[in-house]
Amino acid sequence: MSRVVRIAAGLVAAAAAVALVLVLPHWLSDARAAEFARAGCFFIAILGLNLLTGYTGQISLGHGALMAVGAYTTAILTANHGFRDLWTIPLAGLVAMGAGFLLGLPARRLSGLYLALATFAFAVAMPALLKRFSGLTGGSQGINLFDKALTRSTGALGPVHVLGRTVATNDFLYYLTWGTGLVLAAAAWVLVRGRVGRAFRAVRDSEVAAASSGINTGFYKMLAFGISGFYAGVGGSLFVLVSNWFVSPTTFAFDKSLLLVVGGVVGGLGSLAGMALGALFIQFVPSWAGNVSNAPGAPSVFFGAAIVLVMILLPSGLGGVLRKLTEPLTTRL
Amino acid sequence: MGKRSVLFGVVGALAAVSAASAGGSATPGVTAKQILIGGTTPLSGPASAYAAVAKGADAYFKYVNDHGGVFGRSIKYKYVDDAYDPSQTIQKVRDLVQNDKVFAIYNTLGTEQNLAVRSYLNQLKVPQLLVASGASTWGSDYKKYPWTIGYQPSYKGEATLYGRYIAKAKPRARIGVLYQNDDYGKELVAGLQRGLGKKAKLIVSKQGYDVTDTDVKSQIARLKSKRANTLMVFATPKFAIQSYSSARVLGWHPLVFVNVVASASNTMTIASLASSKRQTEGSISLAFLKDPINPRWTNDKAVKLFRTILKKYNGGEGLTDYYNIYGMSSAFTLVDALKHAGKSPTRAGIMRAVTHLNEQNNPFVLPGIVVRTTSTDHFPIAQARLQRYHNGHWVYFGPLVRVG
Repeated sequence: MSRVVRIAAGLVAAAAAVALVLVLPHWLSDARAAEFARAGCFFIAILGLNLLTGYTGQISLGHGALMAVGAYTTAILTANHGFRDLWTIPLAGLVAMGAGFLLGLPARRLSGLYLALATFAFAVAMPALLKRFSGLTGGSQGINLFDKALTRSTGALGPVHVLGRTVATNDFLYYLTWGTGLVLAAAAWVLVRGRVGRAFRAVRDSEVAAASSGINTGFYKMLAFGISGFYAGVGGSLFVLVSNWFVSPTTFAFDKSLLLVVGGVVGGLGSLAGMALGALFIQFVPSWAGNVSNAPGAPSVFFGAAIVLVMILLPSGLGGVLRKLTEPLTTRL
Repeated sequence: MGKRSVLFGVVGALAAVSAASAGGSATPGVTAKQILIGGTTPLSGPASAYAAVAKGADAYFKYVNDHGGVFGRSIKYKYVDDAYDPSQTIQKVRDLVQNDKVFAIYNTLGTEQNLAVRSYLNQLKVPQLLVASGASTWGSDYKKYPWTIGYQPSYKGEATLYGRYIAKAKPRARIGVLYQNDDYGKELVAGLQRGLGKKAKLIVSKQGYDVTDTDVKSQIARLKSKRANTLMVFATPKFAIQSYSSARVLGWHPLVFVNVVASASNTMTIASLASSKRQTEGSISLAFLKDPINPRWTNDKAVKLFRTILKKYNGGEGLTDYYNIYGMSSAFTLVDALKHAGKSPTRAGIMRAVTHLNEQNNPFVLPGIVVRTTSTDHFPIAQARLQRYHNGHWVYFGPLVRVG
């Protein structure tokens, strides 16, 4: 019985989330809608990171680089191969999934900090790699779809017409990112409740115990990296669209990877709803810190202080608070 | 909702009235009282030295507005910060076009930055006027992009002049090139090679830097290690200053050619302070504007006007800033074009005007320079003089030459 109640409560929460996402633009200015759309991209990438780190226990400091793979897939396909930008989004996810599997290879042998360092190397190397293969990636100038593929960039020239309605460009991008995000969140929810999710958690809790109960730990680690890469790729692909259809190596400097980890931890790894809060945190708190004071270095200090505060006051992250708030409700039901 | 529709009604009625009084024209950004233009400029970031390009122009518009404007309309120039980041340029320009509904985009700074929005503006038929970049594409690709036009002499032509000069005057030079690794820097390198012609092998090394780099120390060290004795600095001001100071730290004293958008006197003064007088002495560059700190122009009428305008409309800032006078010169040309576009300016009308300039009276350019365009020549300023840095000032040498 309680299982049914929990699922029902989950559905209600999901319906509430969908409703919130739908109505929010009514209160948002054009510029704010664009910022929320960016947060939507982070949300998707952090969902992936959460599957990997929160559920499977594998640390990745290289997810910004996986986003870059997705972003460049979209940029290259749209600029040079005549694709419309929207159709490249799933392809970007698949290419980044491939990259995720490769990144997962060292995970078969490394664990903990050593794995973190290996993935971090990937993040640090990515901008240099993008500059090195400038024939494909446009080098340090990056790829500008707004110039090279203006008519294939949805919403670039003005409002978008969807189902007979006219939607302002930034509102459209907002719906696109958060709509995709909700679908992928639902997929993640289903995944972690199934057989694969159980295997992930078994690997996280004890590799030895997992292996002795017949779980192929190497396979599941790589699978987690691959699925996680898919999410990061989709997030990266959408990130090109919300960054004015423009991508360059500096878009995915290694600090993006760290930012994603911050988003995941602040949101509360292991909680799906918390990921949205984590995404909003890494989108809005740095710019808020910049408004407090723009003395050299001050914004970073404020941002750092905000992270430390969250960690001291809410050790289980923002998602943990959500759970605590809703728990009495669901248990009483 | 009822309140809202009333409000819309009122706004709509007001808009209808103002459109009617503007002679029925529906040109965006033009009302009976005002012409709204917009553009981006790096008020922050690695190229913030160029902020004065917008500020000088803005001060000049305010001066014109206080003297009656253009056909009774004042010019409102909305310039916004893009931090020299093309991605931000796109966002800001979209905002200016879609939300502010500007008449035209004007004086937007930077090669990459203008390239980033050119397709968009041409697709929507919004004029992209007097682009603040010397890439030759603004003038040469007008058939493909009829809504875009540049202003200053082309980078390619400029570097060609340096190349020709070296081939003739320094045939034994060993040339090291420092260039910004983007379309802007690469065009200067191409021009240099064209100017050197058969002597292109005098170039012993080319080192690029990214505008996001923190410094150019390693590039300068590599150029020195190739035993270059002539250094081409194809950079933006911050990196030009670093080139001088890094060379001094290494005890390297090459003959320096510094391109025009990095050789403003105020930049050179900082470069001298950051390195030494010896390091900047003898540097060579190109000029097409009156330099406000050149003693030669102290009592010049235009430079006096320049100072008066800045005192009144820019809080007295930038009196020695070459980029301010660039902005004023460009603003002078835009006002000239607006006058030719007639009493009810349209976007097509302003394009016709800027492609048929014949300005013999622009006071801010060097004497003898005519700001001129025709239906087939879309390079407004195409003349300049070589100059040499001596005792803390630029000194012209050689005659006025065509840059092309």
